[in-house]
Amino acid sequence: MFNYRVIALIKRELREKLLSKAFIIMTILLPVFMFGIIGVQTFIMSFDSEKSVVEIIAESETIANGLKNVIGESNFIKDSTVIPMISSMSQLKFDDYVKAKQKELLSEKITGIIFIPNSALENKKIQYYSKTPKNMRLLERIDNPINRVLVEEYFQSKNIPTEELQYARMSVDISSYKITEGEDIKEEGYGNLILSYLFSFLLYISLLMMGSMVMQTVIQEKSNRIVEVLLSSVTSKELMIGKILGAAITGLLQMAIWISPVILVASTSWFMLPNNLTIDITFLQVAYLLINFFLGLLIFVGLFATVGSIFENPQDAQSGMWPIMLLIMIPFFIAMSMIENPSNPVASIASMLPFSAIIVMPAKMAMVDVPLWQIILSTLVNIATVFAIFPIAGKIYRVGIMMTGKRPSWSEVVKWLKYKY
Amino acid sequence: MATLEVKNISKSFGKLKAVDNASFSVPKGSIFGLLGRNGAGKTTTIRMMMDIYLPDSGEVTYQGIKSGPDFNSKVGYLPEERGLYKKMKVLETLLFFAEIKGKKGRAVTKLAKDYLAKFDLADRMNSKIEDLSKGNQQKVQFISTLLHDPEVLILDELFSGLDPINTNIMKNIILELKEQGKIILFSTHVMSFAEKMCDHIAIIDHGKIKINGSLASIKAERSQRNISLNYEGDISFLRNNPIIENISDYGNSVGIKVKEDKHIQQLLKLLVDNNVEVKKFDANDISLEEIFIDAVGTEAEEVKNV
Repeated sequence: MFNYRVIALIKRELREKLLSKAFIIMTILLPVFMFGIIGVQTFIMSFDSEKSVVEIIAESETIANGLKNVIGESNFIKDSTVIPMISSMSQLKFDDYVKAKQKELLSEKITGIIFIPNSALENKKIQYYSKTPKNMRLLERIDNPINRVLVEEYFQSKNIPTEELQYARMSVDISSYKITEGEDIKEEGYGNLILSYLFSFLLYISLLMMGSMVMQTVIQEKSNRIVEVLLSSVTSKELMIGKILGAAITGLLQMAIWISPVILVASTSWFMLPNNLTIDITFLQVAYLLINFFLGLLIFVGLFATVGSIFENPQDAQSGMWPIMLLIMIPFFIAMSMIENPSNPVASIASMLPFSAIIVMPAKMAMVDVPLWQIILSTLVNIATVFAIFPIAGKIYRVGIMMTGKRPSWSEVVKWLKYKY
Repeated sequence: MATLEVKNISKSFGKLKAVDNASFSVPKGSIFGLLGRNGAGKTTTIRMMMDIYLPDSGEVTYQGIKSGPDFNSKVGYLPEERGLYKKMKVLETLLFFAEIKGKKGRAVTKLAKDYLAKFDLADRMNSKIEDLSKGNQQKVQFISTLLHDPEVLILDELFSGLDPINTNIMKNIILELKEQGKIILFSTHVMSFAEKMCDHIAIIDHGKIKINGSLASIKAERSQRNISLNYEGDISFLRNNPIIENISDYGNSVGIKVKEDKHIQQLLKLLVDNNVEVKKFDANDISLEEIFIDAVGTEAEEVKNV
């Protein structure tokens, strides 16, 4: 299988792919892009820091004073994105006041007016008047201090010690602990969750990218008629192996470049990560991830190459690509759903099935402690998949690459399997 | 001595029988022409020889051994539909094609440069293929079939799309290779090339081999009592003449078969007496074109004469 011809083919593929602009740009830009998205999001969020003036009017003077104290120490005074103007007036006066301020509210000179009636001390119902009353971000920031003042005001009359008030004010703080087969129970941070998300995403991108790249070159070789020259020197099997391995090595290299910073962070103490972001990953797991990824490349790149061999131009190939895209996308969404609920039964089954095991298992592994037998089983399933699809894929490829003329129908492709070529 | 043999190969695509029980052999040190109209089965035959198509039946042997990857590495193959990697550079392309045939190293690089110089492409060594003209791409592809020093050259429609000067360069190289004892097989529908270059021919039509053998003996067999005539005037008076066996009009020339050897002189006299202006009168001769048209029928429109 590995003769000089296959090696020459792999060398050519690598030279073409590794030096291609698309590869270099993708390898460098994807991480930049991913962090960029986070950056852009933060940037866009920072825009609502345009100063919003909010009038807070309480019916009772004591509440107004309390608010002045509490809001004074809360941080939206410090970053001054919200300028609160606190005063008090009666319900009757307030109704007229809102009418008087209508113009300023509409022109957004005042973002909103909050009214805290005395009845709020019984039912915590307050009113917000604004042109855009559903500004969640603003309300989220303001409701906490208001709640605090109301709580304080309410309990003041009840004669309760301050420590107990302190307790009432606290919100629930959940620490998560991960149970593993091992002795020690570790407190679990978000690190693995992010890692799992990241890896699933990279796997998804990379399989699609390498797959469609190979599909393009197969279509190109077919439509350029290079394939006939190649077949006078190499067999179609050698050609296919050379292509797939060329792409698999390229993909593996790219993935290694992408995840090396993660491994570096995980395995050294050069970078101080906040406690809840620690990444818990072993070298064995990394090795497994790479082997799994390699198998995934073999399977999906092989399928893409096969589809490429059927069609003569990329437009026609789109229709043939769909089934394979789904084989990648559905498991990807299953993996994503697992981030919400790692013990999702669909995900557990999918992690053992052909095709989906490639994508679901790594995500599952990062979040729950998968028993060794399951990992071995899913790897065996993947290897079996490789052996099951290649005789069929090879046959279609063999017939397809020399088939020119009209676009074949699926039933014709099935007939190819019976051809003696 | 036959070294490359095609034995009873057949290939069907659905209902179409593309090649039907074809056999011929190519002796060492000869140039073999596989002749046929478009769609006659030349390319399918050649693809089966190259193991690109598997024959439905029959086999191809080289020096007694069935063809396969080992045979392929000894062959330089130029397919009818040329194709190169457009983004690769010229020299890179040549070295890649040599490498998949198992040849690499400095000697191959040097040979590649020599060939490029021969074809006036030395300065394009580092150009991308897509930047070359079609003719130049074809030259690069031709060089790639020679670079690994093949024992056998199989060239499908070798001369299509080449200008006369490059055609000449190629012809000379092919004759040189013949001197070196290589086996050269090319397919063409251009009879004048085949006539000038081939030692052996096979004429294929509708997938069947119609005529096969050495060009000299094929001609000798058919040229008896045959006159190849170019003329101006009217020769319709010959139609019912008792000395004439038949007349075939090939467009450029007329083939006339007489009944006995002594009739040849009588025919010439008849022509002169009837004021026909004789431009060429080849007695006991027949052109390959005439043989070809006789073999494949009269639908001669597709046969080009270059």
